[in-house]
Amino acid sequence: MEVVCIVCPNGCLLQAEQTPEGIKVSGNKCKRGAAFAIEELTAPKRSLTTTVATCFKDMPVVPVRTDGEIPKEKIFELMSFLKTLRAERRYKMGEILASDILGTGVNIIVTCDM
Amino acid sequence: MTIYKAAVIGGGPAGLAAALAASKGGKVLLIEREARLGGILKQCVHDGFGVIRFGEKLSGCEYAQRFIDEVRSNKEIDIRLLTYVIGIKKNKTFHITATSSSGIETYEAENLILANGCRERTARQVNIHGTRPAGVMTAGVAQNFVNLLGVLPGKRCVILGSGDIGLIMARRLTLEGAEVLGVYEAKNTPSGLTRNISQCLNDFNIPLHLSATVKRVFGNKRVEAVEICKVTEKMEYIRGTEEILPCDTLIVSVGLIPENELAESLSVEIDPRTRGPVVDQNMQTMQDGVYSVGNALHVHDLVDYVSETAETAGKALLQPAAPRELVKVDAKGFLYLVPQRLDLASIKDSTVFYFRTAVPRKAATLTVRANGQTIYARNYTNLKPPEMEKISIPLKPRTGEKLEFILSDKEV
Amino acid sequence: MPDIRKIKRKLKKAGFGSIEVSEKLGGVWLRGELDEYEQILECGRLAVDKKTSRGVINDIRLKGYIPAPMRIPSLRDNLYEGRTPDVLVVGGGIVGCAIARELSRYDINVMLAEKEYDIATGQSARNDGMIHAGIDLKPDSIKVKYNMRGNKLYDTLSKELDVPVRKVGQYVLLTKKWHKLLYPVVVLRARKNNIPIRYVCQKELDRKIPKIGYRHGAMFFAGAGIVSPYLMCIALAENAVQNGAEICLNTAVTGIEHKDGRILSVATNRGTIYPKVVVNAAGVFSDVIAEQAGDRHFTIHPRKGVEAILDKKASRITDSVIGRFAMKSSTGKQHTKGGGIVRTIDGNILIGPSAVETPEREDESTTCESLDEVLVKQQGLTGELTRSDIITYFAGTRAATYEEEFIVEKSPVIQNLVQAAGIQSPGITAAPAIAEDIAKFCTEILSETKKIEKKKDFNPIRKGIPCVRELPIEERAALIKKNPDYGVIVCRCEEISKGEILDAIRSPIPATTLDAIKRRVRAGMGRCQGGFCSPVITRMIAEETGVGLLHVTKKGEGSELLTSYTKEVANDNL
Repeated sequence: MEVVCIVCPNGCLLQAEQTPEGIKVSGNKCKRGAAFAIEELTAPKRSLTTTVATCFKDMPVVPVRTDGEIPKEKIFELMSFLKTLRAERRYKMGEILASDILGTGVNIIVTCDM
Repeated sequence: MTIYKAAVIGGGPAGLAAALAASKGGKVLLIEREARLGGILKQCVHDGFGVIRFGEKLSGCEYAQRFIDEVRSNKEIDIRLLTYVIGIKKNKTFHITATSSSGIETYEAENLILANGCRERTARQVNIHGTRPAGVMTAGVAQNFVNLLGVLPGKRCVILGSGDIGLIMARRLTLEGAEVLGVYEAKNTPSGLTRNISQCLNDFNIPLHLSATVKRVFGNKRVEAVEICKVTEKMEYIRGTEEILPCDTLIVSVGLIPENELAESLSVEIDPRTRGPVVDQNMQTMQDGVYSVGNALHVHDLVDYVSETAETAGKALLQPAAPRELVKVDAKGFLYLVPQRLDLASIKDSTVFYFRTAVPRKAATLTVRANGQTIYARNYTNLKPPEMEKISIPLKPRTGEKLEFILSDKEV
Repeated sequence: MPDIRKIKRKLKKAGFGSIEVSEKLGGVWLRGELDEYEQILECGRLAVDKKTSRGVINDIRLKGYIPAPMRIPSLRDNLYEGRTPDVLVVGGGIVGCAIARELSRYDINVMLAEKEYDIATGQSARNDGMIHAGIDLKPDSIKVKYNMRGNKLYDTLSKELDVPVRKVGQYVLLTKKWHKLLYPVVVLRARKNNIPIRYVCQKELDRKIPKIGYRHGAMFFAGAGIVSPYLMCIALAENAVQNGAEICLNTAVTGIEHKDGRILSVATNRGTIYPKVVVNAAGVFSDVIAEQAGDRHFTIHPRKGVEAILDKKASRITDSVIGRFAMKSSTGKQHTKGGGIVRTIDGNILIGPSAVETPEREDESTTCESLDEVLVKQQGLTGELTRSDIITYFAGTRAATYEEEFIVEKSPVIQNLVQAAGIQSPGITAAPAIAEDIAKFCTEILSETKKIEKKKDFNPIRKGIPCVRELPIEERAALIKKNPDYGVIVCRCEEISKGEILDAIRSPIPATTLDAIKRRVRAGMGRCQGGFCSPVITRMIAEETGVGLLHVTKKGEGSELLTSYTKEVANDNL
């Protein structure tokens, strides 16, 4: 099976094969690629970048991201959850806005100074 | 009045990096026309920035913030926000006149770093016809609305252009609840990074249509439909392939144009291939003391290299000024090659070049010749025009030498 | 009375024996059905008889085709119900606005109804902005009379209304060697209307125009000028408003009730109005309004023109206007000089227009082919024109009659109807002069029942929005000191400040849409075409008018720019 690696801008085209010894990956330029391919075949994960509403006129929404990866199928569920959040104070880059979202153990962090 | 070591015009990633580098040698003035530093990165909430520079996958906002924090805490850098340069004159130094809410002020600087970035090509600049309703916009405008104002510009969107911005916006709009009917690309290969095709389109089942473009827009007040048409490799419409696609928004991501109006006002020579200034290896234009960096110089794929060109310029202007001895670099087989000149007076052991191939090449050779003699050669695989390459080459050209860079398909 | 039998014979000879010809309101009435639009036009042209007929009323239908009806705002209210103005002007193009201003000199109630979201959205904003010298007009025509008077009036108007006008002159290139032989004839023609003319040798031309396409010299008409046609239209309307006239936007006339040769009432989507006099200045719909009012003795056959705007960098091509010398075509079909190259008052190069007959009055769309035609044609004038310099293009529909003549009249059929119809090129030039006569007609009619006097406090002066980019540094600094918003640049390509945009939003006819702001201060008209400033301006409109972001439009209701907030907890501040 072919997988495009999304770990870095190189975008290596990976070949992943199920063998008796486990999943064998080729076409990767680095170790991270192999790990990505295996994960992609077993339990695909993504990080999410988006925005959250604020109560400030000069910055109606603030950019945020997950500080880790969440299961791919939970992306839209997370988006719905984030629609209901609102930043009520001025955060700094890296501060946690919501923690352990949807029980994934992943936090939502703000990605710029407000 | 302070005479700045350098005045940097533009507070995006290029300007920020240039200001930081130049500040090691004296006072620096950083002029930004918007209310916040960061340039277009302010609206790039997606990640993938800084992998080369920081070895981390940052969002555009985070990448910018790291520089902004440094610039803000640097006492050598004076920042002017919501300030717009209306004219620059050169005597011995540069006199920069700018307007802001506090009035019209003139600043003096020994060097000038132009970091104006680029603007987007519009729908009408790629010959899209029909009506002129609301709902036709560039990807950057859509990104601004969604990421800075928190509003959706449409519910059923068609995206023209498969460059990274178009792909990123396809995902972004989908995540925020709009329907992206498809991404259309006039060329027969996608323009964006493969990983963006994968994570922005495939992850969300957004179809990518190659060799197809938007010909006309329908709707008087708001977009009601677009006409899609297949095109040949020479970009000619194929009659009979027209198809009407109902939608309420057309987002075009069809290329960026370096903004060099200020450079032109200073009679800086422009390279028609990059649409940015002709520079030497220090990013100094053909006008002494005027440097060009970032996307104003040439459009980059990765911000990491934007910062790099900016730092090159910022550092170079700290060296004692010596008369330049410029040699032209002839380039064949490239979409473009930067720098276009070499200054022999300041050449180092190796020189960094940035280039794009003119056509896709499966296997290619980059050859450097001096007076017809090959002095350097390197092989490449899989070169594509949308992907910029960087290479460091040891060069010691001599005065009067004819320097040629040739990119050709590898002979089998 | 027109000679109906003669016209019937003419039509029959041309193969249109099926067409019914009769007399109506002193004009020639054509009825029937034909397969092609060009045939309908041909019949209309054959039925012209300027000496004895009031005009051609061409009701020949195109088989299997019904043109789109007039676009009418969906808005329905009773805001103007029962109003009884002295004069109701129908149409907010430059003709209607100039008339409203002329009428506002008198102590009367003036209303102007415009169906669109703003004034100057039709042909008045879709032309090349040229103030014509008048040489291409027939020496005894109504057109030339108003053109020459209008041309002169522009100098005063420019000062009074603070709208820049530049008399830059026009080069008319000779395209054939023998054209030079005709020069004395053109001089004679020019003399009739006092049009200054000068022969320009090729040597001088080569210095003036780069890569010039013809080698036979040119005629130069110093009387030609340039103006921003929409800005002049807006200025006229604003001055009318300042002097008491009322501009009713989004107000479409849907029907006119007349009885015994008098208009009783005018129905609109915003209530029925009972004016004493109605002025028809409805442009491409002027025959529709004439029909409703009871005196349609002419036909508008829309003529579409495509024009392109080039980057200001292309302004090296010319600092004036360039056209080509053309003999009137023997078929009589050609009614344009074929467009040309104009350096607009704002410093862009404009090329075009083309001229294509269309049954659609409001089709302002363009096609690749129509733009190519314009570009290729004007590239004949100079090789310096390049496609890559084009930043935008647009089309408009001109209100041509079969007589190719203006109609400026007090209706002999309807006692309280005054018409300014069929105003196409050179309508921008002629509008101020037409307005003088139309205002006179209106006051004559009104005088029959009451004494009409001039307003003692009429103020002809209108102050425009300052253009900071053009001001000398000291003045600009002083202005910013007074109002810091003039120092903050919002539209970076055209260097338009926040202060100017706020001025437009707060102006006498408030500009609350992106396009209305664009026409007033040029924000978004530059090379990025609003890429950087449109989100900022959208927000400014929302804040200033308090309507909320989702209600800001590009050009009136139905053209909302945004569809929803991305978050459920929308920011209440927005």
